[in-house]
Amino acid sequence: MSENATETKALARVSPATDILEREDGFYVYMDIPGVRREDLNIDINENELTVTGRALQGSSEKESFLEVQFGPGEYVRAVSLSDRVDRERIKASLKDGVLTLHLPRLEKLAPRRIPVQTG
Amino acid sequence: MVLDFNTMYYPGRFERVIEDFFKPQQGEGRRMAFPPLNVSEDEANYYVRSEVPGLAMDAIELTLTEKSLVIRGERPTEQGKYYRQERPAGFFQRVVALNVPVDRDKVRASLADGVLTVVLPKCEGCVPRKISIDVA
Repeated sequence: MSENATETKALARVSPATDILEREDGFYVYMDIPGVRREDLNIDINENELTVTGRALQGSSEKESFLEVQFGPGEYVRAVSLSDRVDRERIKASLKDGVLTLHLPRLEKLAPRRIPVQTG
Repeated sequence: MVLDFNTMYYPGRFERVIEDFFKPQQGEGRRMAFPPLNVSEDEANYYVRSEVPGLAMDAIELTLTEKSLVIRGERPTEQGKYYRQERPAGFFQRVVALNVPVDRDKVRASLADGVLTVVLPKCEGCVPRKISIDVA
């Protein structure tokens, strides 16, 4: 456990580039997390906050010597706060080509209902 | 705002600020150009790696010219009402100058999880040759 924690700490923490947009059927969140495999990705909802964490371990052998480095292994961490209008039960996530797509549908409006009054 | 980022709050924020302050500016490269490139070599090959999230292999155009490797493509913009846009979109192109001989017919490219890897084998027939000088 402690060994694992130190290993995670050694990775650079990166805030992934994120788009948030709204469409007819709800909100969409796109995150660029290249190099993260599905099994290294975690999405947690804690109360009003959705947290995405993913580890990207760039697969290079140790024999390689680098001439130019512009990206490296890292841990992507980003939190999004959810509004009350988001239906938490129906949040969908998909990962394709290093882009995480989150679909946050709106809550269905509750149908208006008449309350019968009983005479005592 | 219906949906927003807690940019001002995250656990360990203070530590993060201190960390960023003392850290050498190695992370600067991330914001330099899109897509970021790594170039490395081992005994047999040169490797060019690039983070191109959101692109399929057929959306990336790789061109190997006499002296350079060109990576180009276009990232589409999503349709909708944007609240926040940080991901780069539009056309991009990066040129890697090849000042070394490579085996052009054996260059391979692969794409996994948004990371493009181009393997350029070192040219076997191009090892430096010794030229003997005859004394006249």
